[in-house]
Amino acid sequence: MARSFLPQRVALVVHPDVATLSAYQLAFSQAGFTPIIARELPMALLAVTQHPIEVAVISSKIAEEGDGWPLAGVVRQAFAPAFVAVIARETSVHTLQAAINNGLNEIYENSVTPNVVVDSILSKLRLSAPYSPKPPRSVHPVQ
Amino acid sequence: MKQPSLMIVDDEVNVTRTLQLIFERDGYRVTPAYSCAEALALLGNGSKKMDAVITDLNMEREDIGFEVARAARKLLPAPVVVICTGYANPVNSRLALDLRVDYLALKPVDVDELRAALVRLLARRTASRKREVS
Repeated sequence: MARSFLPQRVALVVHPDVATLSAYQLAFSQAGFTPIIARELPMALLAVTQHPIEVAVISSKIAEEGDGWPLAGVVRQAFAPAFVAVIARETSVHTLQAAINNGLNEIYENSVTPNVVVDSILSKLRLSAPYSPKPPRSVHPVQ
Repeated sequence: MKQPSLMIVDDEVNVTRTLQLIFERDGYRVTPAYSCAEALALLGNGSKKMDAVITDLNMEREDIGFEVARAARKLLPAPVVVICTGYANPVNSRLALDLRVDYLALKPVDVDELRAALVRLLARRTASRKREVS
């Protein structure tokens, strides 16, 4: 089967729990995204360097509590139009302030299921302007 | 480089004047407003193009500062919007996130953090506008 070089809709999911990652992978696949999943910070950073990310869902705890926030900030800096969400233990003034000050779009609590998170993100994306990630420099769309 | 313009909105005159002194010393052109109504009048008549707006939340009434944030968001180019409040709660913090406010500072404000955040946000805004043009 010929490989498609058309731009894909890429969703990055960073979470320490494999079962949660699998659920997000399935939910994003069913929504037409190419899910890129990472359990650790180095893999997540590698993904950021390799893929044009449209959506990122990042756990506020990757190795230790709070280390997901700066990663989410990095994704925001690298992909200004992307939808960046963090999964946190709670939505308190503290976590909402962290989301605002890192330029993020949304916070979801741990208790919210991946399907609900993905549905929510899709509905918010439909309300915003379309996103057009540029293909990697070495890849040219087939005419 | 041109001086960035900054509107400071707070009904506590001492807070507004103190922030005005600090930011003017940093090289900003500061326009103070002592109520939401005054800020909306200044923003609404287009006489003041702002690079950034720092607003209190509770002035004439609770959370009315969001009206300043909303008015600022409608301007083109949109200024950086910072909310400073001593009465943050999950409801108004959630509203600030939904409004895409750029920075939420809790009173008592750490002035050095606020200054650094404003520099960073203005640099990001300039870079973003350059990308849009190119």
